[in-house]
Amino acid sequence: MLQNLFFGKLTLDVIPFHEPILIGVMAFMAIGAIAVIAALTYYKQWTYLWNEWICTIDHKKIGIMYLILSFVMLFRGFSDAIMMRLQQAMAAGSNAGYLPPEHFDQIFTAHGVIMIFFVAMPFMFALLNMVVPLQIGCRDVAYPYLNSLSFWLTFAGAMLCNISLVVGNFARTGWLSYPPLAELYYSPDVGVDYYIWSLQVAGVGTLLAGINFIATIIKMRCKGMTLMKMPIFVWSALCAMILVALAFPILTVTLALLAFDRMFDMHFFSEFAGGNVMLYVNLIWAWGHPEVYILILPAFGVFSEVVATFSQKKLFGYTTMVWAIGIITFLSFIVWLHHFFTMGAGANVNAFFGITTMIIAIPTGVKVFNWLFTMYKGRIILSTPMLWVTAFFTTFAIGGMTGVLTAVPPIDFQVHNSLFLIAHFHNVIIGGVLFGYFAGLIYWFPKSFGFQLNEKLGIYAFIFWVVGFYIAFMPLYILGLNGFMRRVNHYSEVAYQPYFIVAAFGALLIGIGIILQVIQLFVSIKNRHALRDKTGDLWNGRTLEWSVSSPAPMYNFAVLPTVHEIDQFWADKQRHLSEGHVHPKEMHYEPIHMPRNTPAGFIIAMFAGAVGFALIWQMLIPGILAFIGMIATVIIRTFSKDIDYYIDAETVKKTELAYLRGIV
Amino acid sequence: MLANIRKITIYALIAMSCFFMLSLTGCKDYTFSLGMLNPKGLVTYHERKLFFDTLALMLIVVIPVIIMSFAFVYHYQVSHKVRDYKPNWSHSYFLEVIWWTIPCVIIVVLAILTWKKTHELDPYTRLPGYQDKPPMLIQAIALPWKWLFIYPEQNIATVNFLQIPIDQQVEFWITADNVAMSAFFIPQLGSQIFAMAGMRTRLHLIAEEIGTYNGLNTQYNGAGFSDMHFTVNVVQAEEMQTWIKQVKQSALSLSDANYDNLLKPSIGDSPQYFSSVEPELFDNVIMTYMHTFSATHPRENNNAMIEKE
Amino acid sequence: MHNAATIAHDHEQHHHHDGDSTDVFGFWLYILTDCILFGCLFATFIVLNDPSMHGPALKSYLDLHDILIETFLLLVSNLTFCLAILSIYKSKLFRAQLWLVLTFILGASFVYMEVTEFAHIAHEGFSWATSGQASSFFTLVGTHGLHVSFGLLWILVMIVQLPILKITHITKRRMTYLGLFWNFLDIVWIFVFTIVYLMGGI
Repeated sequence: MLQNLFFGKLTLDVIPFHEPILIGVMAFMAIGAIAVIAALTYYKQWTYLWNEWICTIDHKKIGIMYLILSFVMLFRGFSDAIMMRLQQAMAAGSNAGYLPPEHFDQIFTAHGVIMIFFVAMPFMFALLNMVVPLQIGCRDVAYPYLNSLSFWLTFAGAMLCNISLVVGNFARTGWLSYPPLAELYYSPDVGVDYYIWSLQVAGVGTLLAGINFIATIIKMRCKGMTLMKMPIFVWSALCAMILVALAFPILTVTLALLAFDRMFDMHFFSEFAGGNVMLYVNLIWAWGHPEVYILILPAFGVFSEVVATFSQKKLFGYTTMVWAIGIITFLSFIVWLHHFFTMGAGANVNAFFGITTMIIAIPTGVKVFNWLFTMYKGRIILSTPMLWVTAFFTTFAIGGMTGVLTAVPPIDFQVHNSLFLIAHFHNVIIGGVLFGYFAGLIYWFPKSFGFQLNEKLGIYAFIFWVVGFYIAFMPLYILGLNGFMRRVNHYSEVAYQPYFIVAAFGALLIGIGIILQVIQLFVSIKNRHALRDKTGDLWNGRTLEWSVSSPAPMYNFAVLPTVHEIDQFWADKQRHLSEGHVHPKEMHYEPIHMPRNTPAGFIIAMFAGAVGFALIWQMLIPGILAFIGMIATVIIRTFSKDIDYYIDAETVKKTELAYLRGIV
Repeated sequence: MLANIRKITIYALIAMSCFFMLSLTGCKDYTFSLGMLNPKGLVTYHERKLFFDTLALMLIVVIPVIIMSFAFVYHYQVSHKVRDYKPNWSHSYFLEVIWWTIPCVIIVVLAILTWKKTHELDPYTRLPGYQDKPPMLIQAIALPWKWLFIYPEQNIATVNFLQIPIDQQVEFWITADNVAMSAFFIPQLGSQIFAMAGMRTRLHLIAEEIGTYNGLNTQYNGAGFSDMHFTVNVVQAEEMQTWIKQVKQSALSLSDANYDNLLKPSIGDSPQYFSSVEPELFDNVIMTYMHTFSATHPRENNNAMIEKE
Repeated sequence: MHNAATIAHDHEQHHHHDGDSTDVFGFWLYILTDCILFGCLFATFIVLNDPSMHGPALKSYLDLHDILIETFLLLVSNLTFCLAILSIYKSKLFRAQLWLVLTFILGASFVYMEVTEFAHIAHEGFSWATSGQASSFFTLVGTHGLHVSFGLLWILVMIVQLPILKITHITKRRMTYLGLFWNFLDIVWIFVFTIVYLMGGI
């Protein structure tokens, strides 16, 4: 009884000691963890880690932590991808492959969940944190403490998802866990509970971050920066965050209702007792469709910045761009039904949602033309960020085209759930979102770290990624048109096998691309002195983030800037020679008000993770304790008076002069 | 460095186009295709046509975009020292009107096409040209992990095997029992549609060529998903009659007990034939879900239906 | 690279973290997200409350008499909360605390009545596991009740916190948040009352 209250369903049996692969993974993870702990102890870095990172509420550092989380999870998500590709390349005819369905089904579920929630989303928030406050000329986000909480909640969610690897198992339901498959009747183990609670914890973090960035962008822009003078990246971030605020509550509700079904025998989505399966499908896509625009909009923003900077030319059609983003934001909420035309809704409904979906192609197409004509009559510098943009045009055009194809209901009746669909959304998510984020990462890397990434290795990584992408996904289009479905563990038609072998080879090339990126990172860190960005304006940038040192000082701007036009910094540089400016030494600095670091965000999130874990295993007492701990931390924090401090004017002056000396 | 990039890019492009050519030749070989590229029924034929029409419409924009992207990036590189540099040129009503208008026009055309074709090919309605010909009814039930087909007018049933006469419009009523949401699909003959417990979905199709085709479940529904295939045999009307008579001779009948057996999860079942069917079985299966107020299947006590690993 | 354009500054900007308008704006955004959350629950309730559905009907279990009392409790608690805020703005700490205590009592009575109602309905055989309709009823009304309970906890914290932190712009701002939250819950209750009890019960 007592054991039940404390440990719920958790026993030693749930650790898969009988699975050699998983034990290997466990050993690997354990060795990794021990190595990190040992290194931290040996180099006496625990206090540094605690004070400078875990407690930090500096958006720049939080951005870096999001980035690390995203890359670590990319490895897991990509390992899943390689395993799937290998399985499908092998399992033709009488060969059953090396993964039985119970593993394979977990792997494709985990792949989708991890890539969307724990790679793409953290990557996006990494870029937003690294850049948005600097671009709008303010010193931090609106709620720095909330920002730290958001990150650690995302982290806790990701860790819950990772724990499922060694304690229990993950969902075998596909990345959106459609009921009734996700109901207790068909999925009695804890897999779906891991799914629900890791997403729930991370989702709340995302929602809070969304609110935070909307408030930051609406309320904290520097003097003179009206909405129509914001950099396009900020516009895209604003619209994406509005989508977050509107869509993520839907996810929270949907997952909660599914959890209630499983925990309390409720009947929201069960097949019996008046439950409604299609209600779940509608709700999850009412979140899920805006979600993909949450991912792509910031990538559009990155393209706009990178194209303008590297073409050394003003972005073409700024106003059109803003309108296009706005229209996409609006339309993204009225297209969700195109994910289930095959549900059997009437022709009027299907045609309506098909057409609204196609309409999105118009503003998207307009954006592409604007980027193209930004390059027209420019002076293009083909640095790595620009290479990613170049690859983006073709890839995204193909992906967009196949997207419109699947939006036509009668065509969807053929390609729905097929590999054609898989190829389509990887085509836009890799070719659009990921290429964009990579471009943005390389572009803003020096701003966050103070040194540039190695160009040569970057180019090699780029080539492997792009070529690998085409080789991996073009065969899937063909297979899809031949009636081959997604999530298939093995198949009898041997004629399909060559395509899968080619696709697996493509995935391997992408893998080499990822490894090259890691090598690139290490080589760049090693040569960081040679690659240092002394001026703070490495790429001859156009927006405010380039007007400060790299990495930016902790207060971002010694004196808050004022802008009068789009690309103020670029314009200033053009006028620089003709107009006089105040010598920095004579400049008047004032003390800067800063929020103080706090461990509260970290502690609350860890408690939230513990609550999630307790709910998964139905551990009553630990769950209640963790919940009380979480609430208590929130309350105790509200009593704290020591929440801010001032950096004195002298320190600011010293920092600024040191930076200016570096430039000269 | 830049020369290097160019060289590598060119090699990459060549490699990629070689690969495309290879895949296209693969496409040409339609006979191996079990999908929409090789239609054997009216619906799929129209769907394939619609696919290529839409593709052509989209290419009007996509091809220029791809060409422009490479041409601009190549032409306006710094190293080419193009004189024509306009750093502040960022607006042109003329151009912007053009690229708002062209996609709009294309989408309008496509929208009209979509509206028309969606209604024409609506799985729930009779097919164009066959509106006044009564269809043959077949009831399909997705079971864990197999398909049950009931021919109510003939009072026979089959598992994992479907035989239909050529040039005869067939209407399917589809539902699921004791298996998560599934989807019914015969790629070469028609559209796919979900099979959901407690609900009835419908689908119309016509086979236009004699042969054996692949039918399958497209919606992932658990461990046996990959093997949830069935064989579709399209035959002449006379042959259909003979076959029905044969099935009528089968020793098995779809009694309540036999249906209980079908409800047990099994993977990769070979075809079974039933000489008669419990009356109203299909409707009763749907009504089970309407009337049950528990979290598990009411027939669960009859046998262990979910085998927990 | 600093130049004339970037020199302009003003003193207020240095205290931007205390910017009340920014913070209250953020809280409004939170309320917006909570609106969507409730919107989904209402939609779920309406979908699952299909009159053609088989099984026991919610209608026969609802007691509108108690609900009317609950409604009044919540509405009056809103009034007392407003009076607490007024006292804060008049810098009358003790009086504010008193009003908060009264608000707490009213809110707690509301929660108590709701819990009793739930227990009663469940005891009569209409528990959340009965049907989809029952699940959506308990979840929608329960989520509101849970929000009210959090509000109560928050009121408690404010009662304790006010004398410790005194009336500063921080506590004032927190009272504003709490007020928005408490008002919002009232508005949600009006919808619950109308859609669940009036439309479902009559």
